[in-house]
Amino acid sequence: MSLARLRRPLARITLVPLIDVLFILLVYFMVTSTYLDLDMIPAAASDEGLQAPAGGAGQGGRLLLQIRADGSVALRGQAMTPEALPGALAASDDPALLSVMILPSGEAPVQALASVLDALSAAGVGQTRIVRLEAQP
Amino acid sequence: MKLRRPARARPGEPLVALVDVTFFLLVFFMLVARLDASAPFEVAPPVALSGQDMPGGGVTISVAQDGVLAVNGALVGEDWFDAVERAVASDGAVLIRVNAHARAPLRHVLPLVARLEDAGLAEVVIVVTPSAP
Repeated sequence: MSLARLRRPLARITLVPLIDVLFILLVYFMVTSTYLDLDMIPAAASDEGLQAPAGGAGQGGRLLLQIRADGSVALRGQAMTPEALPGALAASDDPALLSVMILPSGEAPVQALASVLDALSAAGVGQTRIVRLEAQP
Repeated sequence: MKLRRPARARPGEPLVALVDVTFFLLVFFMLVARLDASAPFEVAPPVALSGQDMPGGGVTISVAQDGVLAVNGALVGEDWFDAVERAVASDGAVLIRVNAHARAPLRHVLPLVARLEDAGLAEVVIVVTPSAP
């Protein structure tokens, strides 16, 4: 009596190495993905913002704040960093009554403007206006 | 002569479903890594602590460090304002977000804001982040 040898089952395609690679890629993208917490600062003011409202902002006078090309700030001709602005404003006037006109250099970075707006907001300045740059982008 | 029946092979673990889920997660994280910026170039928004929470919707104008513009993720040139108008008309959006790189010169950004303001689009905001990326 002759016995036929059993056929060996076909080798299975192993999925485990594939899953290993997938998990490594998954963890890589999970770790390297950045989730920014985005906020906003109003950039366009309404026209009535220029007029000093009665009993409100603007009665304390107007200040011209210059943002230089290197990002530094000049207040009354005195150069300072944006971080020093709240202290300088609080020492002289009531910030809530102030109307601040910001005159930015076209070469100043956006970060400088954001820092100035941040500092003015922290100082409690009642009214802020950006003087226009007429150059085309 | 007695022949023993070979033992049945144990069924393997169903790994295909696990691979499917892992692929979905992988593709999701690959996509979401770029979705936050909504721009075809790198934009690192300026850091400011006094920003307000930003609502969803609206039209996003991205400004690269060298002044290249994109509207809702699509590169635009001199005709950027037409692209904004089309986006506003199709979405009915009123909020315009200016997502400018922190080191972009203001001469690339402020004229945009002025043009939008002149067109009567009063809700123009600058995108900031409270923590450095």
